[in-house]
Amino acid sequence: MQNFRGEREKGASVLAQARGIRGLSRRDFLKLGGTGIAGAAMLGVAGCGGGDTIGGQGGGEGGESIFTWGRGADTVGLDPINVTDGESLIVTRQIFDGLLDFEPGTTDVVAALATAVPEPEEDGLVYTFELREGVTFHDGEPFNAEAVVFNFDRWREEDNEFHVGGGSQTSSFSYYTSQFGGFDDESIIESVEAVDELTVRFNLTSPLGPFLRNIAMSPFGIASPAALEEDAEGFWQNPVGTGPFQFDSWDRGNEVRVTAYEDWWGTDLGEGEGGAGPFVDRIVFRSIPDNAARVAALAGGQLTAADGLTPDDVPTIEEDEALQVITRPPLNIGYLAFNTEKEPFDQLEVRQAITRAINMERIVESFFGDTAEVASNAMPPTVPFFREETEPYPYDPDEARSLLEEAGLGDGFSAQLWYMPIPRPYMPNARGVAQAMQNDLEEVGINVELVTREWGTYLDETGRGEHDMCILGWTGDNGDPDNFLNVLLSSRGATETDAQNVAYYQNPELDEILDNAAETIDEDERRELYAEAQQIIYEDAPWAPIEYAEPPLGFQANVSGYEPSPTGGEGFNSVQLDQEGA
Amino acid sequence: MDTSVAARSGWDDFRRAFLSNRLAVIGAVVMSLFILMAIFAPVLAPYDPINDQDLTSNFAGPSAQHWLGQDELGRDILSRIMYGARVSLTAGLAAVAFATTFGTLVGVTAGYAGRWIDAILMRLMDMLLAFPSILLAIVVVTILGQGLTNAMLAVGIVLLPQIARVVRSAVISVRERDYVEAERALGASHTRIVTSAILPNSLAPLIVQSTLALATAILDIAALSFLGLGAQAPTPEWGAMLTDAFRSGFGVFIEGQHAILFPGIAIALCVLSVNFIGDGLRDALDPRRK
Repeated sequence: MQNFRGEREKGASVLAQARGIRGLSRRDFLKLGGTGIAGAAMLGVAGCGGGDTIGGQGGGEGGESIFTWGRGADTVGLDPINVTDGESLIVTRQIFDGLLDFEPGTTDVVAALATAVPEPEEDGLVYTFELREGVTFHDGEPFNAEAVVFNFDRWREEDNEFHVGGGSQTSSFSYYTSQFGGFDDESIIESVEAVDELTVRFNLTSPLGPFLRNIAMSPFGIASPAALEEDAEGFWQNPVGTGPFQFDSWDRGNEVRVTAYEDWWGTDLGEGEGGAGPFVDRIVFRSIPDNAARVAALAGGQLTAADGLTPDDVPTIEEDEALQVITRPPLNIGYLAFNTEKEPFDQLEVRQAITRAINMERIVESFFGDTAEVASNAMPPTVPFFREETEPYPYDPDEARSLLEEAGLGDGFSAQLWYMPIPRPYMPNARGVAQAMQNDLEEVGINVELVTREWGTYLDETGRGEHDMCILGWTGDNGDPDNFLNVLLSSRGATETDAQNVAYYQNPELDEILDNAAETIDEDERRELYAEAQQIIYEDAPWAPIEYAEPPLGFQANVSGYEPSPTGGEGFNSVQLDQEGA
Repeated sequence: MDTSVAARSGWDDFRRAFLSNRLAVIGAVVMSLFILMAIFAPVLAPYDPINDQDLTSNFAGPSAQHWLGQDELGRDILSRIMYGARVSLTAGLAAVAFATTFGTLVGVTAGYAGRWIDAILMRLMDMLLAFPSILLAIVVVTILGQGLTNAMLAVGIVLLPQIARVVRSAVISVRERDYVEAERALGASHTRIVTSAILPNSLAPLIVQSTLALATAILDIAALSFLGLGAQAPTPEWGAMLTDAFRSGFGVFIEGQHAILFPGIAIALCVLSVNFIGDGLRDALDPRRK
């Protein structure tokens, strides 16, 4: 008890110190940072100062309320269909609306730009959406059936003149491919037609189980056709949608700013339907890669909210009365993928050996504490049709050694293990996890070289298969098993560039099961097929699954109305800043 | 009769002057300890700096088993600092060796050749000097790619112009001396004049500048590693140790201050003692003292 009290007081005083030093300049930081002693504590505060007058509590220029969101990395692009990373989609989510959306805090589908969630017609081959009236894009252009058709045509047709954009790190419409089967003839959406001004009909080549959930995903936000016609190549830097906030500015590597869109259609809707607001005048998405620096900035009042807390930070923040912690419902997985196209990872025994050589339970406990559980399947238990019977791979170095023996690698071998340079929601400290794995693998004679790259490059190069093994993770977009298994482990995801299947695992048997499961709307049949799929993945071991995390978020105590989405992409329209005492 | 005069040679003067500077002596002693630590790290270090992890006791404070405590992966901080001395010192020396070699080359060429060659080379050096050193180092590492080798190279490039400038002015000051004229009158080649007459007589300022550059090099390499551009995990480099502890979360300030404190002290001590040595050398080699 005594000890606990002591800890508390110490924690409070450190936070108080962090508040006291917010005025530090960058030069001071460099001086101190070099000497290394006190400088470390101030990096974050100084690193994000920049002479800006934005207050974390929401006070700003002329009484403007500003919500400053601190996160681990900057946005890659703002054309939602041409990105895959969460830091891009959390911004585009505010600027764009889809036809459908997820109910705040869940993965249940609700209407957004459509007036209602449509029922499948003709056994799931046709869906008809009625659209909201009087919606306008931020550039003043009207939203209508033609706009929806324009966007779907742009995504689907490879020879469409607007099938371009996204900048140098574009994902090349990869979300369309992964959710709807491919472009042109391979696309499950055969055509989209405007029946009248406010009615759109989708014709499918075959039924698609997760169709409505797919439509609700952030990448399928409807963009302004006029803006795309003007400059489709540059749209990723100048996005125009119908969302609650409109794009203001983007300082690359530092922050993205959006401002409230007064004519948003959702203002009069209830919060439970994804409406209400926007209440704050401006949102600043600020990137502070360093975990400790970000928390220091939150404690020091430079941020209204901080994403990517490490589990160790949770008690510190909970004990501070000026701050609060909100956890995100878990819908993610962190994993170590083996590049199955490279030797020796093409051998099953080698992959199995590694899964047994790593003490995952110990790693999860020390790096995640209570905020995660050890993973067994390739998707988290919050996703329907999760296979309960699968147990995490056992930790057994002796078996690992004999498996390596069997593979003819009794003397061990050398390989690269790539880890993410920045904290992700599914893994706040990949560097630590990687070093712990290196240690475990060393035990069984595998000599591991650790490799990392700048975040954009990391995604790019792992997406080309340049790694031997890499740590990555995935936050689900729509809560459907298809969104985990099909995206991450089917042959379709094992593309030459921008691969989502970074294990390059290609198993025709699994592909067929996943295709069948996706093409049926029968629940029992889907359950059976997905159980089989998870069993196959477990046996083939293309990954060593690490953990399912429940990512904690830190806020100033005056924030209300923030409802974290399991998908990681919540709308900020309902967020309010209580001005009292701020 | 002549012996007493002979005994008061330049070396003797130098030694006396250096030893009378208390800070310089302290610096030399501390530095020798660091060098010994670096050389004998495998013998002295109680644990393996990379592989002796103990995740259950991360950030455990100093104890009888771990004198300086444990870091975010439960590794022994003392052992990592010892091995870190190897990394930091060799990286610093390599950077200075690079800067000294090429800086001398540039400085001698500019000072000896004079005229437009001098003008061009010195304007180039001025351009490099115009940037704050750490910023320039960051730019160079960004171009070359992160990693310890590139960080060494970057710091070497940053230090180069200072050395070149010092060497150039020394060369200019001896260029017109009688002994150089004598060599020239005897028909010696340019190379011979430079190596036998000019360089040996320009050595004093070069030694001082190189020593001071070593301090900057060690600090800058640690700073680059701290920013994630130099030594990469799991290399036990002092700057990288700071950033490793730091990145594991804000909790480090509450339960793991030692993981920040001790590598920081190692950097500070090392840099300080090299600076003291440099100052001592400068005073001892200053001709005005004689």
